[in-house]
Amino acid sequence: MSKKENLDISEVYLLDNHAGTVVEAELWDAITEKNLADWEADWIPHLFELLKSLKQKGVERRLWPQSRHWHWSDKVKAIEGKLSNQCFSIVCDGNTQALMITDLMRRAQLDAQKNSHLVYMDYLEVAPWNRGELIGRSPKYSGAGSILIRAAIELSKQEGFRGRIGLHSLPQSNDFYANKVGMTDLGSDENYQNLRYFEMTPEQADEFVMKGEDL
Amino acid sequence: MAKKTMTLNLTDAEMEVLEALCEQKQMSKTLLMRQALRLYQRVEERLEAGGKLFIEDGSTKEKSEIMML
Repeated sequence: MSKKENLDISEVYLLDNHAGTVVEAELWDAITEKNLADWEADWIPHLFELLKSLKQKGVERRLWPQSRHWHWSDKVKAIEGKLSNQCFSIVCDGNTQALMITDLMRRAQLDAQKNSHLVYMDYLEVAPWNRGELIGRSPKYSGAGSILIRAAIELSKQEGFRGRIGLHSLPQSNDFYANKVGMTDLGSDENYQNLRYFEMTPEQADEFVMKGEDL
Repeated sequence: MAKKTMTLNLTDAEMEVLEALCEQKQMSKTLLMRQALRLYQRVEERLEAGGKLFIEDGSTKEKSEIMML
């Protein structure tokens, strides 16, 4: 791990699908002005073009990226100085590839770990060009989402929460969290826009980390 | 992230509570105090914004307000 301007930076690896190679990337333990500039100058125009393309193809709005209204600058500003939130970002090839905000104040809901502390993944989004299911072709980089889940698990262990994590999933990601990540699906949460709530036990976390290289 | 060390003076009673919570939560004293600080900050922010703190009974749904200084 290295440090830059009070950032902890870890070396991670992404799969560059266009080049067919594994490339070095950086996991930052923050969302910085640089990340927000990347989001505003690169993610938003890319997303806008993607939405225009989906509209031209006649794709229904319900199938458009469900995180398209997320305003990362506002989200980061809202948690400025709060000890209960920890942010992460992944940077590769000079650009931000994924962003995440976590919350350390939530409690587990699964019976086996009810009321135990966990790391709640409030928001996780990868850059539009890394979302193959939306762009209809191979994503530029794969693996960013899994790296952020591993970062949440690691944070959970560091804070004494033993790897427990939880999140509400947008419908387009339900399959990913249930089947690829291996979290337990606790069903729709009527108190949270009826989004499905997923949770991971310490055992599931260990299993996920062990198979991580294959994701 | 860089961390700083401090010495904390507690009474026997306070230390007993701290150790009991650490045992219950399976957390070290440092981690438990950090979690407590996060909670304190969040509660204070909500109260300063005009919010009130309630505990809801899981079965009866009865709410009781916690008075904060």
